[in-house]
Amino acid sequence: MSSLDPTGPDVPIARLRARPERRLWRSLEELARGTAPAGPEFPPGASAPPEPSRRDFLQLLGASAALAGLAGCVREPPEKILPYTRRPEDVAPGNPLHYATAYALDGIATGLLVTSYEGRPTKIEGNPDHPSSRGAAGVFEQALLLSLYDPARARAIRYRGAGRSWRAFLEYAAEAVDLHRKDGGAGLCFLGEPDASPLMADLHERVLRALPAARFFSYAPLAEDAAYEGARLAFGRPLQTRVDFSRARVVVSLDADFLGGGPDRLRAAREFASRRVPESELSRLYVVESALSLTGAMADHRVRMRSSEVVQFALGLALELSPQLQGGPHTQLTATRPLHVMARDLLANQGRSVVVAGARQPPLVHALAHAINAALGNADRTVAYAAPTLPDMAAGPAALAPLVADMRSGRVETLVITAPNPAYTAPADLDFGSALGKVPHAIYHGLYEDETAAQCAWFVPATHSLESWGDARAWDGTVSIVQPLIAPLFAGVTHAELWAAFVGEGDRGAHALVQDYWRRQPGRPDFDAFWEEALHDGVVRGSATRTESVTPRWADIAAAAAAAAAKPTSGGGIELNFLPDSKVYDGRFANNAWLQELPDPITKITWDNALLLSPTTAGRLGVESADLVEVTLRGRSLAAPVFVLPGHADDVASIALGYGRTGLNEELAQGVGANAYLVRPSDAPWFAPGASVRKIGRRARFAITQDHFTMEGRPLALVATPRELRQHPERIEEQRAALPTLYDPVPYPSYRWAMSIDLSRCIGCSACVVACQAENNIPVVGKERVARGREMHWLRIDRYFSGPSALDPEVVFQPVACQHCENAPCEYVCPVNATAHSDEGLNEMVYNRCVGTRYCSNNCPYKVRRFNFFDYVGQRTQPERMLQNPEVSIRSRGVMEKCTYCVQRIERARIDARVAGRTIREGEIQTACQQTCPTRAIVFGSLHDERAEVARLHADERRYDLLHELGTRPRTAYLVRLRNPNPELS
Amino acid sequence: MATAPAPHDPLEPLPLVVGAPDDHTINESLFQYVWKPTGRGWWTVFLISVAGVCWFLTAVVVTISKGIGTWGNNIPVAWAYGIINLVWWIGIGHAGTLISAILLLFQQKWRTSINRFAEAMTLFAVLCAAMYPALHLGRPWFAFWLFPYPSPTRMWPQFKSPLTWDVFAISTYFTVSLLFWYLGLIPDLAALRDASKKKLQRVAYGVMALGWRGSGRHWHDYRLAYLLLAGLSTPLVLSVHSIISWDFATSILPGWHTTIFPPYFVAGAVFSGFAMVLSLIIPARKFMKFEHVVTQKHIDNMCKVMLATGLVVAYGYLMEHFMAWYGGNQYEAFVFRNRRGGPYAPVFWTMIFCNVVVPQIFWTRRARYNLVIVWIASVLINLGMWTERFVIIVTSLHRDFMPSKWEMYYPTWVDWSLYGGTISFFLMCFLLFLRFLPAVAASEIKELRAEMVHDQGAH
Repeated sequence: MSSLDPTGPDVPIARLRARPERRLWRSLEELARGTAPAGPEFPPGASAPPEPSRRDFLQLLGASAALAGLAGCVREPPEKILPYTRRPEDVAPGNPLHYATAYALDGIATGLLVTSYEGRPTKIEGNPDHPSSRGAAGVFEQALLLSLYDPARARAIRYRGAGRSWRAFLEYAAEAVDLHRKDGGAGLCFLGEPDASPLMADLHERVLRALPAARFFSYAPLAEDAAYEGARLAFGRPLQTRVDFSRARVVVSLDADFLGGGPDRLRAAREFASRRVPESELSRLYVVESALSLTGAMADHRVRMRSSEVVQFALGLALELSPQLQGGPHTQLTATRPLHVMARDLLANQGRSVVVAGARQPPLVHALAHAINAALGNADRTVAYAAPTLPDMAAGPAALAPLVADMRSGRVETLVITAPNPAYTAPADLDFGSALGKVPHAIYHGLYEDETAAQCAWFVPATHSLESWGDARAWDGTVSIVQPLIAPLFAGVTHAELWAAFVGEGDRGAHALVQDYWRRQPGRPDFDAFWEEALHDGVVRGSATRTESVTPRWADIAAAAAAAAAKPTSGGGIELNFLPDSKVYDGRFANNAWLQELPDPITKITWDNALLLSPTTAGRLGVESADLVEVTLRGRSLAAPVFVLPGHADDVASIALGYGRTGLNEELAQGVGANAYLVRPSDAPWFAPGASVRKIGRRARFAITQDHFTMEGRPLALVATPRELRQHPERIEEQRAALPTLYDPVPYPSYRWAMSIDLSRCIGCSACVVACQAENNIPVVGKERVARGREMHWLRIDRYFSGPSALDPEVVFQPVACQHCENAPCEYVCPVNATAHSDEGLNEMVYNRCVGTRYCSNNCPYKVRRFNFFDYVGQRTQPERMLQNPEVSIRSRGVMEKCTYCVQRIERARIDARVAGRTIREGEIQTACQQTCPTRAIVFGSLHDERAEVARLHADERRYDLLHELGTRPRTAYLVRLRNPNPELS
Repeated sequence: MATAPAPHDPLEPLPLVVGAPDDHTINESLFQYVWKPTGRGWWTVFLISVAGVCWFLTAVVVTISKGIGTWGNNIPVAWAYGIINLVWWIGIGHAGTLISAILLLFQQKWRTSINRFAEAMTLFAVLCAAMYPALHLGRPWFAFWLFPYPSPTRMWPQFKSPLTWDVFAISTYFTVSLLFWYLGLIPDLAALRDASKKKLQRVAYGVMALGWRGSGRHWHDYRLAYLLLAGLSTPLVLSVHSIISWDFATSILPGWHTTIFPPYFVAGAVFSGFAMVLSLIIPARKFMKFEHVVTQKHIDNMCKVMLATGLVVAYGYLMEHFMAWYGGNQYEAFVFRNRRGGPYAPVFWTMIFCNVVVPQIFWTRRARYNLVIVWIASVLINLGMWTERFVIIVTSLHRDFMPSKWEMYYPTWVDWSLYGGTISFFLMCFLLFLRFLPAVAASEIKELRAEMVHDQGAH
């Protein structure tokens, strides 16, 4: 195979010499092979040499005039893409366009709407037509933009470090296919991430048709293998579970963080939140888990236990609830009181309840959850089953083992890796990195030249999702066509193009590949109309997969349950939990500064991960927060700082994956946090017993945005049960009743902008924080400055622990941004009138007038003002500047800034309304935080409009003002968080 | 010029001028250091202070070129060393105005020997103080926006903001203090002009003396102007620090929002001002041989003023904590609980020790007569008054209404450099003043002596 090496010594010298005719050649291998180039020399979008046309010359002239060709020029993809709402003849400068596209995380897509200014995407929202989004976007989707403009992204195709052309790679791939054809492709392996894309499935098949022995592996460190295995155990085949939380009155989560993670988390959050307000019948949530998750934080009752004990708990529950399993073995845990109460509550709500099992739990827990749901008659009501959207069900760490074995034994000659960074994310015991060294022809396709790229001969830069053509499917199977918003900033190709290179179509371009695929599909008589509609809407209507009715195989479940009950619970030591990270996911977003600086919803740590311990366990180990410890599991160890977290299970240590990156080019991610993959076992990827924790004696420094846990008894984030609300209305009344004043009320003649935030709906996911950051050009400041208390987020989410015990706290989240007080304390103290009130009630910041006395911040009781301690804007790199929202002024050093209620969106709506000769309508303005909120906790509008939802919510019985007694009369109202505890347990 | 304190009859009042020197001797003794070559000690201290000023300039350049981020400030502690030092310096200045204006109006003769000294101190302290409001701005190059001036934007400062009041208070204070000080200097400058032997000196002092010839008309106008300026300065003693205290009192922050602040700040200012006068004059009178005009009597009086104002300050502390408890406002109660037992409690207890405990030693004559003890106590009180401002500003800000946004504040090297730098600047100005200008108002001493002789003759 070494003759594939394009610069290697094996290019036959004789062939180089024996050239009778005079030919032009561009490289040694081309000369040697004597064939014309197979495709374009450069991938689409790479800066190709200019062809001698006047048009191109002028383009180039314009490009070079506009600062290195990046800042000013339109970079729309050359193919036709379609705007979502408006179709102007031409791009009107200054007017944004919105395009629908989709982003797939671990293969499952969320529909997006991207705002683009002159071909420059500046903001991502959810696509209201997409079933997984319904207009919402999570933190990952919101932060995609920054990844797009990340200057650390790979910029060139490389072969052993030297730059190569895409054509050189295509030739290489063609030769590889030729060589592999001998044995049917037995030495050719593909390692991708799980992907529901129909185009990729098609390419998969086509590769197999040409090379039947080629093998495809999927790997995702956070893959949900156990869920599919659980369905296989329960129903005989892998199925995907679709839960409808909007119909569930009682929800029991067995270590399932359905609000914080999972492929369908945005829809789940919206449906769940719709049952947490008095307008609907209030649902009750029980959570059984070890580390405090977002779902656990929303629980009415939370039982903390080791992750390994959840299976016993599930058994106990199943034995009480499903008659088909009764009479079987009993477990130690069946006696606990919460279990009985939960079981009674579920029984009382048959058909209106649901038990969900977490992806971290073994298949049996999933099977038991299916059994309970079947026994309770929940199936087809609150929970439904369907054929999996993902073609690759086994994609977890265990699935990687056979591939690694083959790599090590030399049976893999060519390995095409499109999975993100497996050398980093593979469990340490597989030692993927060294196995990769044994593969002679490793090809890695990724966004960054990361840990994996360093080990592979070939590196091909990937295009970002916003630069790519492709297709994807949502959790319910709905297809979206992924359309690019911008031509690739740095030379790159899509996954599909890379795979297509192995069927001889690598030069066709991703657009042609995806369009051809869909053109070939039957049942679309008018393809062009279909294509336009699919691009315009962002979804292919009617493409969702149907749900099926299935019956559990009781005998199999009972047998598995009996086997599990007979097995002793895992032994001593500390159980080590591995958690998906709320910000960097599995590590792929580690170089995204927005996400790194986003406070973790629970711990509020930025720029770090930590070993989470319960107060009891930390006390027993003699460690406290920020102590560095050495965690040892099965002979592998890791140094990490401790964070003592109330509500964590005892004798368990939890650590988030995705940190401790060492990739050379990802400068931001380097050295941030501890790499938990180093101790993650492939056979127990989620939790493993027998870990030990030893204090090192040094201390780390966390950058935490909120290190005070309690409310100090102050009426800040109010929580009540519906009963308390009825019995003690005065407790809320005193937080909102009109206060005496000497002054006449100020008339607001036109609009009275106001916001309401429903704490019952807020799950603390922090998507709004990133949305605000993207919308308002908010800078990131880095770990040191966050540690000093200088983070710039205009919107923060306060997290308070309350309740009688620090071991089992109740958690409440409270988003806090500028309250736009009618009687604002910040305004009268400014000596230069830089913060003033508008006649619509906005508390406005005049950046140009601000001299930076910072008195306004001192006098702000909500502490929502942010100061530019340094010149943050000037520190942005060239590509990062492209993402700035042109509607929002950037702030210079020494200037105060804060939430504006997205005044730019108000002004945009005002312009539209004036042009149409009308007033601004209700619902016309959505603030960035409101728009992305998966649970619709934030509502904005004018209080003068009686039909406005915000006016209704300001008059709601749960409404109160933050720090009401100060008389600031905030325009942001909060709605009391409702809890629905079971009277039997309280 | 007795250097060793002679045994003294406790029933006999202490003399304000020791001995009975004639005008010539007074001139000789008070102006001698202007003519003498500069000593090594002066040079040593002067060069140290100049080095400090250079360091200060470095910190200023860093602050202006990089931003306030080089300081330790954050959100919520948006004000820290900048404002602490501003208030501290302004407070120190107060003794000068009090001595020169109020004591003049009250005809306290003992002020004569120390008023020039104290006024110079006021002037330099206000200079130091005035640097901070400009430096602490996010965009110091726009500091002039705080002044009302006709600008094409038609924007005025906001007169509701106490920071705007500060601008007027401090600039008025500086102007009046400068005029008052200079006016008092004129007769002595003329005396220096007359006594100088070199041409350059004669011209320089002559220009500064503004043509003073000591005629009866001159004295008449001089007295009138001096009295008028004293009348102008008197309300300033009360107003300047009251206005400074409104920077805090008009806010809604617990720990700041309190009505006791104006009198409590003024008392604190006088307290710290006298402490600074003592810290400076005790070494100065020794090295410059002024013991015969700045006598034990002066030191004794100043100690008593400190004791009195110290008690007012202690009452202020007590009332703050009492009202926090009695008022029943949970936010306010927390702030004071946090001062006593929070992370900055050591600073609070240092303040209590320095400002409440230490001045109590002045109840005893023994302590007031022991210059070493008086000097150490005065330095401690200066420290205590600095910690008071730290306690008021930092501990109120760092934990206010929202526990979610509580943060600690830690100063950086720039913060310390700016503080040390203004002390150096103050010292440098003071050394120059001592070197080139009469530190004791010779003309007034002569007048005082004449009055004393007259009084004795009348007995």
